Amino acid sequence: MTPEEIQQIFFVECEESLAAAETGLAACRAGTQDSDTVNAVFRAIHSIKGGAGAFGYGALQAYTHTFETLLSDVREGLVAIAPDLIDLLLRALDTLADHVTAARECAEAPDDAGLIGEMEAAMAANAGSAPKATPEPDPEPAIDSGAGDDFGLDLDALLDDLTADFVPSPTPARWPVHLRMRAGAMRNGSEPLLMLRDIAALGGECTHCDVSQVPPLDSFNPSEGYLGWTYALPAETPEDAVRDIFDFIGDDCALAIGEDEDIPAFEPGETPVPVAASAAAVVPAAGPVPAEENQAVFATSTAAVPPAGAVPASPAAGQSIRIDLFKLDRLIDLVGELVIAQAMLVQRLEGVGISATDELSLLETLTRDIQESAMSIRAQPISSVFSRVPRILRDLAASTGKHVRLEVIGETTELDKTVIERLGEPLTHLIRNAVDHGIESAEQRIAAGKSPEGTLTLSAEHRSGRILIAIGDDGAGINRERVLAKAIEKGIISPEAQLTAEEIDNLIFAPGFSTAQVVSNVSGRGVGMDVVRQNVKELGGRITIDSIEGKGTTFTLTLPLTLAISDGMIVDVGDQTLVVPLAHVVESLRPAEADVQGLGSSRAMLNVRGRFIPVISLRDALGTVQGATAAAEGVLIVVDTESAGQAALLVDNICDQRQFVIKSLATNFRAVEGVAGATILGDGRVALIVDVDGLVACALPAQERQAA
Amino acid sequence: MSSTTRILTVDDSASMRALLNHALSTNGFEVAQADDGVSALEWLAVNEVDVVITDINMPRLDGFGLIEQVRGGTRHRDRPILVLTTESSDEKKARARAAGATGWIVKPFDTEKLVAAVRRVSH
Repeated sequence: MTPEEIQQIFFVECEESLAAAETGLAACRAGTQDSDTVNAVFRAIHSIKGGAGAFGYGALQAYTHTFETLLSDVREGLVAIAPDLIDLLLRALDTLADHVTAARECAEAPDDAGLIGEMEAAMAANAGSAPKATPEPDPEPAIDSGAGDDFGLDLDALLDDLTADFVPSPTPARWPVHLRMRAGAMRNGSEPLLMLRDIAALGGECTHCDVSQVPPLDSFNPSEGYLGWTYALPAETPEDAVRDIFDFIGDDCALAIGEDEDIPAFEPGETPVPVAASAAAVVPAAGPVPAEENQAVFATSTAAVPPAGAVPASPAAGQSIRIDLFKLDRLIDLVGELVIAQAMLVQRLEGVGISATDELSLLETLTRDIQESAMSIRAQPISSVFSRVPRILRDLAASTGKHVRLEVIGETTELDKTVIERLGEPLTHLIRNAVDHGIESAEQRIAAGKSPEGTLTLSAEHRSGRILIAIGDDGAGINRERVLAKAIEKGIISPEAQLTAEEIDNLIFAPGFSTAQVVSNVSGRGVGMDVVRQNVKELGGRITIDSIEGKGTTFTLTLPLTLAISDGMIVDVGDQTLVVPLAHVVESLRPAEADVQGLGSSRAMLNVRGRFIPVISLRDALGTVQGATAAAEGVLIVVDTESAGQAALLVDNICDQRQFVIKSLATNFRAVEGVAGATILGDGRVALIVDVDGLVACALPAQERQAA
Repeated sequence: MSSTTRILTVDDSASMRALLNHALSTNGFEVAQADDGVSALEWLAVNEVDVVITDINMPRLDGFGLIEQVRGGTRHRDRPILVLTTESSDEKKARARAAGATGWIVKPFDTEKLVAAVRRVSH
């Protein structure tokens, strides 16, 4: 692993830590201020600080140091959790995110002097009221020295001397150190001999060893400190260097320095106390988990893991591993092939009269389980996207003056990593749009009898193999008159067009449409919503609007759980089998003769509950001649399209609805208009996947499209 | 006993584990990793180790708790345990010492010193 890769891990970790801190602070604000919550925030910042130091990001480390010190005071109860403080912490977190970004992009660190001042003020304000527990840690993190000697450490300082090329000094001036190990010096994995060697490494010379206390063998206790030593150290060796060696073991070694001193007296220790008992006595509340519980975990895992053949990389060691995405995608791809192969096998066996055997159903179950497991590897909770929203809202509050409360539902809902990654941009845009255009100013809200603070609701849920993400605001709703006027003015629709409320709402997705009377710096310059729709469509999803004037607007994104495998409707058209992606399908119906009305010689319209939509015969589109073409004899599939509204596709038959793996036609053959790709059916045949948008757009004359 | 010194590093930060792994394995140590006290105990239940290097601040079971558990057990009770952390207060050191830590290294660590520290305690 190269240093760059490790650095990458650090930045991924920073994102996770920032999200964890955000979540923790949000919980604090909502009233959950227990020690676990505060601790989680502290740990997140602490972790960033540790990495920043290790990777040499000085500015980031210095900033996190102040942040961490404040959090530490909060944790110790020295600084009270008040709304003002949480607000300060949140702002500090935003700046920390900027710091991380700056470090990653090697850009200039953000200006944090103001915030550092505020944080220090918050600490100072409370310093007087509460007793100071520990001396202030050194505010200057020792990064440039790379050693951290400023922290008064023992091992490090000692090792400075160990690793330095030591040349024994010929100067006769020496000073004595007297020491005697206590009974406890042999515990904790310590080895007093190594400490004596350290003294020797500092230039110390053993001048005297007191053996007078060594008892007869029958009363000899190997853990007692019977021996005492006197070492003579060179004058230039600082006293602290010697003290540092023994600093850590504290009372387990008695130390006396100076000519007038002597080897400390022997104090027979009581019977060695079992370490666990003594440790438990000194540190009653060591971890968040009670001791018995730890013991239980320890015991269970011992039983669960076979002791034989345990390799260093035991699965118990890590809770997660990082895998190259490429390998994972390859696995998913292969699983897709497996699904197809399994379907082919079933069909082949049915052909020779073998069906519904136990083995086949077992195979099917296993295949499905493997597929689901493979998919779940790529799945991530949507909270990784949702957790960025509070920051967006804070920034928006600063620039628009609109304060918005956030409600999040279903943030643990999982979906594919790629979908999550590509969801960020459209979601951000929708949120900005909701705050900028949807939610009114505080004055307008009060006038309308609403709470001055707007509410934004984000929700995610699984529904029949797809995920629904809703972004709702309690603002003014879409002003349809203005939208309509604007669309006519921009030439997006003709002035005579009769549009339903839903169709008017959807006009805001039209390219080049912007209703903001003043172009704000928040929602962009009218290139927003059509891009949002395009992004969602690229993810194989759809976006719908539900707006009530005066009550608010909700945008609902319907997305597939994964991009590798899609759901499709398998249809017959003449001698061809085609796949219509389910993302586009609104409904399918077998029309009554009266519902389909001819329009000229070749065109037809379908009456769907009073609305007329154009009928497109897939037979004509394919150029297949044989078979019936009358709409009443086939099945109509109502589809929703990007640019042409709804249309009805006429097919002979719907055979099945199943998942399919998309194979690119452009890579294997060449791009064909109206065809999105190909897939392999259960019987091994290749079926084309209909590009609904492309097909409808090219089948309908421009005039008709505008009216629809 | 193999001749290679086996080290278990315990840290909840993946980048810190990677750094430690890099620093130690390039110096000839055999390195295993755990991401908190509980996983460390699980690993220690089925593996031999010469030195444990642990962080203090970790979820589930922190460094203090881990050290106490190791010292309270039988299998690894005499193994050296080095504490590697950004915390440096005397109170924390005393607590780590009371729990049974062998030594203390402050983050960010210097590879040379870390290696020397490990050599020093691995007997």
